[in-house]
Amino acid sequence: MTLLDIHQAEIETILARYASKRSAVLPLLYLAQDTYGYLTDEAIREVATILDLPPTDVFEVVGFYTLFYNRPVGTWVLQVCDDVPCCFCGAEELIAALKHSLGINEEETTPDGMFTLQRVKCLAACDRAPVLQANLDYVYDVTPDRVDTLLNNLRERAAEARKRGVSGRFAEDYEFTRDGRLVQIERFSPYRPREFAGEASPPPVTPPPAVAPEADSGIDRPETRKASPL
Amino acid sequence: MGLTEHIVMRELDIPDISDFAVYRRHGGWEAYRYALTEKTPADIVQMVKDSGLRGRGGAGFPTGVKWGFLPKGVYPRYLLCNCDESEPGTFNNHQIIDKNPHQLIEGVALSAYAIEANVAYIYMRGEFAAAARTLERAIAQAYEAGFLGKNILGTGFDLDIYVHRGAGAYICGEETALMESLEGKIGQPRLKPPFPAVAGLYGKPTIINNVETLANVPRIVEKGVAWYRSHGTEKSPGTKCFSLSGHVNRPGNYELPFGVPLRELIESPEYGGGMKGGRPVKIIIPGGASAPWLTADHLDIPLDYESLAAAGSMLGSGGVIVLNDTVSAPYVAYKMDEFFKHESCGKCTPCREGTHWLVRTLHRMVEEGHATAADIDTLHSIYRQMAGNCFCLLGESAVMPIKSALQLFPHEFEALVKRSSSRNGHQIPLIVRH
Ligand SMILES: Cc1cc2nc3c(=O)[nH]c(=O)nc-3n(C[C@H](O)[C@H](O)[C@H](O)COP(=O)(O)O)c2cc1C
Ligand code: SF4
Ligand code: FES
Repeated sequence: MTLLDIHQAEIETILARYASKRSAVLPLLYLAQDTYGYLTDEAIREVATILDLPPTDVFEVVGFYTLFYNRPVGTWVLQVCDDVPCCFCGAEELIAALKHSLGINEEETTPDGMFTLQRVKCLAACDRAPVLQANLDYVYDVTPDRVDTLLNNLRERAAEARKRGVSGRFAEDYEFTRDGRLVQIERFSPYRPREFAGEASPPPVTPPPAVAPEADSGIDRPETRKASPL
Repeated sequence: MGLTEHIVMRELDIPDISDFAVYRRHGGWEAYRYALTEKTPADIVQMVKDSGLRGRGGAGFPTGVKWGFLPKGVYPRYLLCNCDESEPGTFNNHQIIDKNPHQLIEGVALSAYAIEANVAYIYMRGEFAAAARTLERAIAQAYEAGFLGKNILGTGFDLDIYVHRGAGAYICGEETALMESLEGKIGQPRLKPPFPAVAGLYGKPTIINNVETLANVPRIVEKGVAWYRSHGTEKSPGTKCFSLSGHVNRPGNYELPFGVPLRELIESPEYGGGMKGGRPVKIIIPGGASAPWLTADHLDIPLDYESLAAAGSMLGSGGVIVLNDTVSAPYVAYKMDEFFKHESCGKCTPCREGTHWLVRTLHRMVEEGHATAADIDTLHSIYRQMAGNCFCLLGESAVMPIKSALQLFPHEFEALVKRSSSRNGHQIPLIVRH
């Protein structure tokens, strides 16, 4: 079965969007990546054939963009933002916790093929640090104590992840509830102002302590972006 | 200096605005209907010109003026919406799409009508996969309601809007690199001129604007120029969605009129809520990673294009990163230049090599703890060779973190050297990060 056999209708819809066939190279590479798990040389050549391009042009594109994988990756690719400001808001602690729980280093894959760990640059969610993406699903406020919940959840969803692929074509966003569960954020969820009722009021701002500030607890942030579905 | 009504972040006034029906009930798509049925494209361009709307993507270029650069009578034309949002510390486009997607789509449609384009692409960074789906659904609803497609509202105007996902490259936010990427190539910038308005996507006249810029357009048409200009300052009218991050109590997006003092954004209990743990401000990066740094001395600066430029920095993307006294300036410069090195497209030598050597030198000084006095001269020499010599603004931006750090905190670099030499060659890495 070729890519064209499996996804004929989708490929035709994609091609119809552009005045030039070549414009479809990124969407088709995503499609190929999800179909084959990663971009094998064969898959890249297949995309080149569909688009009437010299294969080298498509190889070049695969090499340039960071979301294409030309070697096998885990069922879940975990991409943790370690940029400024996240690196001062718990990103390093999160990466350490993930390395510890998974027993791997950055750019490695767990022996069971479940997780690949990567450091990435700003994910445009700096207010929800520490933040990561799992197959491009956002997961916000991943403090180190939440790593086990996250990893268990992802393991439970492994079959689903294998079906969808790593390119995020069916991506969703996730966050933690107050009692520490991981939940999907409703698409088109209404904005809800932050409710402090039932919560201890935030501590008053005190003069600077002599020690470094605690890692961000993820609690005292306004809900200007994602509203908790609860 | 709060707003009585938000222009862009309307989810704060109307909690369900992300729902198509709610958006419609609150006048959504009516500005577009009004424009198509009662106004000419030229009328809309004039309105946007008069509103003084400035591009929110970084440069602050007047949007109506840019639209006016299109050569007369040359078709097809394209509208591109730049949602590559990858500038460290910037996350307002992300929220606009999540919480008020229909206003963006209406803005794209309205602007396409104004510039007489029949196809618009929304280029999203590849990581915005879920947001791309949100937009695709919002676009489908607009087609269903008859606002997109062929012969819209019986006016003879055709418009298709497509979402196009990039695949992880900050440089694709640069307008000509974005066009290259959309044409299926690697994202390397093009030589300008010709400017996109003359020869852009597929060599055709093209207008490219940021998400926040385009999301303003329906409100300008709906409420009028005078209302719009009643916000902000004379030269920076309207509001800006500031992305506030770092060591503040309440990081998040805050839509405020231009001209609001930096201090208010950081300290007001309604916005930043002050510094975490009450620690002092050390570094403020007011416009995303590309902006020269400010310090606590600049807290009273009004946040508008002119004031920040006068202070030697820039408003840029509106991503305000505030760091406290626990951070080391050389480390911040190192992390930021690591970003630019990672994102350099490799097309020109000063940027490709310059960022590489900046990061190598800084890594040795900061992470490995081996710094010599000559390193400081080397750093100065590298950024001086880059400044003014790079092909695009990415390389020029990479100069800012290291130049700012060396200028504002020279003693911290000297301290690195001292600590390194006092260690007498023992290879003990310095701990300078918190
Ligand atoms: C390296 C680089 C990255 C950029 N990234 C973005 C971006 O992510 N989003 C954006 O709107 N503009 C970005 N810009 C600015 C665009 O080139 C362009 O000026 C802008 O999209 C124009 O829209 P505006 O007039 O509405 O601001 C970037 C510029 C450079 C040099
Ligand atoms: S300055 Fe950097 S990003 Fe821009 S063209 Fe040169 S190498 Fe590429
Ligand atoms: S720096 Fe991590 S999301 Fe922006």
